[in-house]
Amino acid sequence: MMLTKLGAMNGQDSGITKRQLGVFMALAGSIGFVAVLAIDIVDVGRQGGIGPAQLTALGLLAAGAVIGLTLIPLGDAPA
Amino acid sequence: MTMPRSRIYVLLMSAATAALLFSFLIYLQYTANLLSFPYDYDQGEGFELHDTVLYSRFQLPYRDTESYPFYGSIYPPLFHVMAAPFVWLFGPAYWYGRLLGFLASLVSAGAIYFAVFRQGRGNRWIALLSALAFLSSNFVYHIGPLYRQHTMMVTFETLAVVMLAGAFPRRDKRGTAAGLLLLICAGYTKQLAAFSAIAAFTWMFLRQPARALRCLLVFALAGAAIFLWLNIASDGQWWLQTIVANVNDTIPEQAVGLFILWFKLHGLLLIPAAALLVYELYLDRLSIYSVWFVFSTVLGAIAASKWGAGDSYFVTSIAAACILSGIFFSRALAKDWRLPRRFPKAILTHASRAALIVIPLLYLGYARATLKLPTAGAFEPIAAALGVEGNVRDDFYDSASFLVGGYARIGYLLTAEDRAAGDEIVRLIRATEGPALSEEAGFALAAQRDVVTNPAQLRNLHLAGRFDGVQLVGMIERGEFGIVVLRAQFYPPPVLAAIARSYEQTQSIHMNGFDYIILHPRALDDS
Repeated sequence: MMLTKLGAMNGQDSGITKRQLGVFMALAGSIGFVAVLAIDIVDVGRQGGIGPAQLTALGLLAAGAVIGLTLIPLGDAPA
Repeated sequence: MTMPRSRIYVLLMSAATAALLFSFLIYLQYTANLLSFPYDYDQGEGFELHDTVLYSRFQLPYRDTESYPFYGSIYPPLFHVMAAPFVWLFGPAYWYGRLLGFLASLVSAGAIYFAVFRQGRGNRWIALLSALAFLSSNFVYHIGPLYRQHTMMVTFETLAVVMLAGAFPRRDKRGTAAGLLLLICAGYTKQLAAFSAIAAFTWMFLRQPARALRCLLVFALAGAAIFLWLNIASDGQWWLQTIVANVNDTIPEQAVGLFILWFKLHGLLLIPAAALLVYELYLDRLSIYSVWFVFSTVLGAIAASKWGAGDSYFVTSIAAACILSGIFFSRALAKDWRLPRRFPKAILTHASRAALIVIPLLYLGYARATLKLPTAGAFEPIAAALGVEGNVRDDFYDSASFLVGGYARIGYLLTAEDRAAGDEIVRLIRATEGPALSEEAGFALAAQRDVVTNPAQLRNLHLAGRFDGVQLVGMIERGEFGIVVLRAQFYPPPVLAAIARSYEQTQSIHMNGFDYIILHPRALDDS
């Protein structure tokens, strides 16, 4: 549905909406957050737990997800 | 658009302009000082000069490092190709590469002026301060007049972003094509420009998704064609030297330290820049400058953790911050905001009046935060009045100096003693038979000897498991190098061990703040 809308929008030249951007950021941030955490679960041989690079990634992904959630209520306004 | 004027505003803005012009004066002095210095100032300059010399002979610097002269380059070609005609005219020299870097920083500042002027409702004064703020940044100052490709990359990035900001939404095909071409130029100046390309295409996708994808396809095909040609022409060495060798170990503390330093020095402009980003995100449309600011900051900070990275990795984000803060200030003065109807207009009026005082004060504070100047000679009274003492050398103050790991230890002015020290190293090289193994290429070039090895590149390849070094170690063990000149000792451990076994230190020469260790082959009965 999103792709259809995207194509239609291109015809109108109106671009991505804030809702679409918000949904994307929320999904990407959440999935990325879980994936980064999963590194420690999958790679059981790793030593030292969550490292500084992982912590940074988790922080950025969580921030991205939260910002994305706040954009969803803004609806069809262009991003 | 009518611009606000009041006596206090004009007075404070004049003071801010004078402060930033003073910073520019120091930048000019630093540039003039470096242009007259014929040796490496920042380690690596000599290798960029050697790349230029190779291009001037229509040779690629992506070579097999297992055979003599064991040289390979990690950098893309464009900056060195631009400098190559100077080799035909003047021979190998540092000044023209440094001059190109300096001029490139001025072009970036010009692009920042234009962007703020265009988006900031024609406020020339704010546009001028935004451009001067870029040149006042300690990070720009440090790397601007060096024989390094980084400043040229930032210039291509800035020009590309400013070009796309105007052309893409208007469906201006030529303008868009020119913007994309500039992005390719940036990428083939230095790999780090990939972050700006990601930012530009993200913004284009937000604006016109299908058109952005078409542009991306053309861009990718053009970029890939050049990549393939370089790889074929260098017999695969392009891939090995610029991609494989570029994957380095990470030092998270270095990135954190540089990030803190970046914020301490530029915070007074970063906060308004971030404010405009938030405004655009929730109340307006995201501009290419906001997207560029986010990507260049986040990805630049992550890349800054890489061994060999430095403060220059934040210069692109500083360019974006100067543009965004300039637009923010211009709009604040002009009360040019798209706000919800219920938003009280009185607040906007009060904010605009406050901005008349706050904005010049922010630029004044920024000029103080990025202060650097000689503390002796004609500048002594100014340094005394500002209450600063030499902290880089005895006679130079730099607000950015030596605060964090990874910080480039540059920025001070060179002396006649530094030049004499360099001349002495060249004399020692000339006095020996056989090739010289010098950790900086400039000495070998000045002595008209072969440039042998690029130590940091060999180190990177060694870490990637792609440098064996049997021939090089063999030459060292046989004492075939008449002299060895070490500084940072970036060579891979087996090479350093071979040098320690077969050569002995005969001298140490202090130049440019560093001790250069001079070694000669051990006598046979010592070995």
